[in-house]
Amino acid sequence: MKRIFSIVVWTVVAALGAGALGSIAVHRGEPLNATWFVVAAVCCYLVAYRLYSAFVAAKVLALDDTRATPSERHDDGRDFVPTNKWVLFGHHFAAIAGPGPLVGPTLAAQFGYLPGTLWLIAGAAFAGCVQDFVILFCSIRRDGKSIGQMAREEVSERGGFIAQLAVLAIMTILLAVIGLVVVNALKSSPWATFTLAMTIPIALLLGLYLRFVRPGRVLEASVMGVALVLFVVVAGQWVADSPSWSSVFTLSGVALAFAIIAYGFAASALPVWLLLAPRDYLSAFIKAGAIFSLAAGILFVRPQVLMPPLTRFIDGTGPVFAGKIFPFCFITIACGAISGFHSLISSGTSPKMILRESHARFIGYGAMLLESFVGVMAMVAACAMPPGVYFAINSPPSIVGSTGDAAAATITGWGYPLQAQTMTDLAHKVGEITLWNRAGGAPSLAVGMAQIFSNTIGGERLLSIWYHFAIMFEALFILTVLDAGTRVGRFMVQDLGGRFWKPFGRTRWMPGILISSAIIVALWGYFLYQGVVDPLGGINSLWPLFGISNQLLAAVALVVATTILMKMGRLRWIWVTLLPMVWLVIITMTASYQKIFDANPRIGFLAYAKLLAAQIAAGKVPAERIAETQRLIFNQRLDAAVTGVLAAMILVLIVEALVHWYSILVRHKETVLHESPYVATRWGPNFSGAAQGDD
Amino acid sequence: MQHAAKITFRMLRRFWRGLREWCGDAAYETYLRSKGRQSSSSPKLTPAEFYVEQLNRRYSKPNRCC
Repeated sequence: MKRIFSIVVWTVVAALGAGALGSIAVHRGEPLNATWFVVAAVCCYLVAYRLYSAFVAAKVLALDDTRATPSERHDDGRDFVPTNKWVLFGHHFAAIAGPGPLVGPTLAAQFGYLPGTLWLIAGAAFAGCVQDFVILFCSIRRDGKSIGQMAREEVSERGGFIAQLAVLAIMTILLAVIGLVVVNALKSSPWATFTLAMTIPIALLLGLYLRFVRPGRVLEASVMGVALVLFVVVAGQWVADSPSWSSVFTLSGVALAFAIIAYGFAASALPVWLLLAPRDYLSAFIKAGAIFSLAAGILFVRPQVLMPPLTRFIDGTGPVFAGKIFPFCFITIACGAISGFHSLISSGTSPKMILRESHARFIGYGAMLLESFVGVMAMVAACAMPPGVYFAINSPPSIVGSTGDAAAATITGWGYPLQAQTMTDLAHKVGEITLWNRAGGAPSLAVGMAQIFSNTIGGERLLSIWYHFAIMFEALFILTVLDAGTRVGRFMVQDLGGRFWKPFGRTRWMPGILISSAIIVALWGYFLYQGVVDPLGGINSLWPLFGISNQLLAAVALVVATTILMKMGRLRWIWVTLLPMVWLVIITMTASYQKIFDANPRIGFLAYAKLLAAQIAAGKVPAERIAETQRLIFNQRLDAAVTGVLAAMILVLIVEALVHWYSILVRHKETVLHESPYVATRWGPNFSGAAQGDD
Repeated sequence: MQHAAKITFRMLRRFWRGLREWCGDAAYETYLRSKGRQSSSSPKLTPAEFYVEQLNRRYSKPNRCC
């Protein structure tokens, strides 16, 4: 009876999901209600979790709950802590959910809502969740080893080195591009700049409280911190209204870039308890609250999706970024469907805290489904505003024109009606000086979120508060990724430098700390500055570069996963990781090739460099701008070289893996699986974690 | 009625424990209770020492994603 009931329920869920997905796909004409997106996504996730993840857990990985996990064998109360599965789900989700699933889908909305939404759902179910789940499992079986260590042991020495280099490369480009998103969110916005600037003294205050007054009392400190942050969001309005204070906080893109670079250096070099950790606490609470509120707001308001399913820009002429739907939609969405960076978390803290092997399904596969849902919500928020407004916010002036009237005429000419006055009114309503040319995804997402929130609570009266709350939320947790990433980058640089000169590797040696912090900040700071001064809008070049490096890291993780499955004798099931890996290699290689060699200067780095060089040679560049143009040419060539190196790294790894797979398959050499030996668990079936007790 | 109140109270208590564990508020208590700590001969850390030591370890490897 129970079985029949279950079959009926799952058939209904599957039919509902298929129906909603079908409605989204074939709908034309009148605007579609966002509820269809939520229903389609949730039903697809439920079916994928119930069927596909269960299949991967039972057949492909054969999870074994009689086996003691690292948290049981090494329980030290520090790294190895047996943790309740719901708590660990929260930990894991907070770690993997960054700005990527918010910004990527917002940018990909230029193709229309359909391609991005389909890839967010399908990519997560068949690629992203599988990657996170399988890597988590592999790391659990290896005492929580990192993806780099696993690549070294299971594939080859060179494979491990490539994985480490890929991590450093992705980190550099990631930090630059998210820095650029913050710059474009705060540019010429005294309210937003003041609010974000104030989070620094608030974090310092919290840091001192947690260190000296009530050590480790995170919850009470965070409650105080969140209250103060909400207060400064409101207080920002008073600053924006005061002419003298407003001018202090109205900064240009370049000034903001240098401020962010200085902040990154300080956060990396200062003690972690003073600035970085308390900001992270604030960010975690606000992130959880904002994501939950967005989901509730979408369900409550049920906004109409005004963006068409497909726009004319699928042909590659998009103003936000250039390039055809294949491969650039996949490269742009990145984290919301599959993120290589997640393999670092799945082989980092989580495997050391997991209670039982079977929890890996819920934590690895389940948390990524939730991240994909965040991506779908971002897509809804971006597509719920009139397309003309979306393109006005996200297009650089070199494409649409530098005056409001010219830009409105260009965008209207594309078939998305817009009046310059609409943008002036909207900027006024959200408390901004201008909303033109604010590419990067954050302001358009904030406008979308603010409209949803204000329709739930407060109406138009609170639109400006909600807008600045959304900007603060995005910028706060982007900066948290930026400072934490810079610090980790610093350790990587110190580790690398320590191989050549021992004292440099000592993590408490002050000159080493300062020099390594300066090196990592200079690396991403250079790309950030380059993005800020890029006349095509830095997002056009930096976001695809970030997408390529991120997807390459995912390909590295899937190579490792496939190799391990092969060694485990699960040859029958290797398509589970092999097919996503092949797909990622195809899209990253195509995107890399196009970004380097495409003849269109907006796509190909070399073509743009050639165009600029030809302009100088033809005397079309004024004398005072020649040096600047030459720097631009150098930057394009540098971007081409970085893309080429990333693509070459993955090709070397693939060749390395193919040779290894060949030798495994024809038994030329004995396969050695570097798993920890089996130890039977001593925990009873009801044990649910150290702090939870047995209840 | 009393039963419902009991269930609600138990759920709230679990939620509170989970929240404290999730955000790191209960980390020191977990450390004191851990098997490794109880069987170790090294001196017990104070709450302030443990807090700083834990943060230094946590933020030396990737723990926030894109």
